[in-house]
Amino acid sequence: MMQALLNGLVSGLLIALPAIALSLTYGILNFANFSIGAMITTGAYLAYIANTSFGAPIVLAAPIAAIVLALIAIAIQRGVYRQIRNADHVTLLVASMGVAFVLENVLRFFYGADVRTLDVPVARPLIWHGLRLNHEQLQIAVASLSAMAAIAFLLKRTRLGRAMRAISDDPDLAEVRGIERARTVDWTWAISGVLTALAGVMIALDGIVDPLIGMNYLVSVFAAAVIGGLGNPFGAVVGALIIGLVEETSALAVSTTYRQGISFVVLVLVLLMRPQGLFGAVRIRR
Amino acid sequence: MTGYLVAILTFVSLAVLIGFALNVQWGQAGMINFGLAGFYGVGAYTAAILSKQGVDGFTATVAAIALTAAISAVVSLATIRLREDYLAITTLAFSESVRLVLMNETWLTGGTNGIRDIPRPLVGLIGGQYYEAFFLALCLALVAIVYAVLDRIIRSPFGRAMRAVREDDVVAATLGKNVLALRVKAFAIGGAVIGLAGALHAYYFSYIDPGEFAGFITVYAFMTVIVGGKGSNRGLLVGACTVMVLLEGTRFLKDFVPFLSAQQAASLRLALIGAGLILILIYRPDGLAREYRLSVQNPSRPDANS
Repeated sequence: MMQALLNGLVSGLLIALPAIALSLTYGILNFANFSIGAMITTGAYLAYIANTSFGAPIVLAAPIAAIVLALIAIAIQRGVYRQIRNADHVTLLVASMGVAFVLENVLRFFYGADVRTLDVPVARPLIWHGLRLNHEQLQIAVASLSAMAAIAFLLKRTRLGRAMRAISDDPDLAEVRGIERARTVDWTWAISGVLTALAGVMIALDGIVDPLIGMNYLVSVFAAAVIGGLGNPFGAVVGALIIGLVEETSALAVSTTYRQGISFVVLVLVLLMRPQGLFGAVRIRR
Repeated sequence: MTGYLVAILTFVSLAVLIGFALNVQWGQAGMINFGLAGFYGVGAYTAAILSKQGVDGFTATVAAIALTAAISAVVSLATIRLREDYLAITTLAFSESVRLVLMNETWLTGGTNGIRDIPRPLVGLIGGQYYEAFFLALCLALVAIVYAVLDRIIRSPFGRAMRAVREDDVVAATLGKNVLALRVKAFAIGGAVIGLAGALHAYYFSYIDPGEFAGFITVYAFMTVIVGGKGSNRGLLVGACTVMVLLEGTRFLKDFVPFLSAQQAASLRLALIGAGLILILIYRPDGLAREYRLSVQNPSRPDANS
């Protein structure tokens, strides 16, 4: 049981990064980015390429993947989402699904459906009072917590963070106050790219790389972001921890293959009982 | 060649049926469904499992329609108080859950091996030789029937109320319309049509596995509806044909580019389809045909969205 809680915590920390990314883009662009699963996968493959094709150690491959995915995310924003910014947000949803389709199949085109693994040294798990903690899990926890700290600092203390929060609160007012929207949006996508790439690398570290790894986390990430209140990055972290814990502890009773099914059930329950999420502002339009 | 044409036309009719369904749910009622593939799978597996149990084709199809409609109604209930994004998330999550059940509940669905040798309805009567042609005729007849029924619904007071909810649910509610009931009904009607399409899919291929009910079905459906013009069933016919020509056209890709493996050609095709969807959204967001409307289109709002 304690082991399940520990695993759940780590898994929650992992889900938290893309959930924050989802919440940030939702808050600023007002649309749910359905390509986030494909972005996670892309991040994992980028790290895989840097790691195996160029022989970069993982501490170098992860930041490379993050930067490249950030650039890709900005390119997609400029090439796709900005082109249809005048359409309603449902059009953006559909477009993001198209983006996911393109990303996933481009990866499949070059790398096929084979299962791959990163080239990292295998280490013994740490054991403390009968609790096992893999080195991968430790890396996930450390990386995720530092990324979260960086995001919190960015949002609360920097000019960019203030601009992002302002646009998220009231885009028109932000515009009037002279906040450069296009630049802030680009930065939001860059941050989103960095976070999802890191999540992709962690998933790859802990397991395998294949074209569906991101898709396998999509429902959990959305459930986490919705529980936290879409658009609220700090709520997303709490939502992610809840989802991680529920998924891992439910594995004691239900087959692990239904991990996503559990998230689906949690998601529906939250939507029925508290649709604005645990920390969402009550601003939901009926 | 005739065989190929018959097969393509059968695919087109299935695509049209799914498109009709999405057009009711999204085009008319404004309820987005990213889980089409899951509902389609429910329809197909219901028909297949019942037929394997010896239930006749007609009853099994009706059961598939009823079950898919009922599940659609329940899923739409979950998000009834929220805007479209949440319905998109819920339906997508539903679809993933369906895929998990199809892959893991081997006792019921055969797992990843799928279900083979699904008995085709009336095959003894028609004979194997003409069966494909008969099936195409059946599909076309069903398309015509569904079109006629949906057309009546769209032009009925219920259809107007549905569009009113889509445009502004608060106004519709103020005018005494039961928004909740309207939405659930609209989603269930769409679900029924998807169930029918799923059942036909199972009978046509007489083999189904979970891989066929993945996200690409949903992408195709959206492309069909957007190309045809959201809300317009007549445009949808054109849309479905266009999409199918694109799909089939890209199938020949690997003949022109011989150095690609079959898998690479398949991924390239799907990537191109995704890119096609994005390009249509950018350059022809209204599609080829407009929805049937009594009033003029409301002017587009100059928006600061980026």
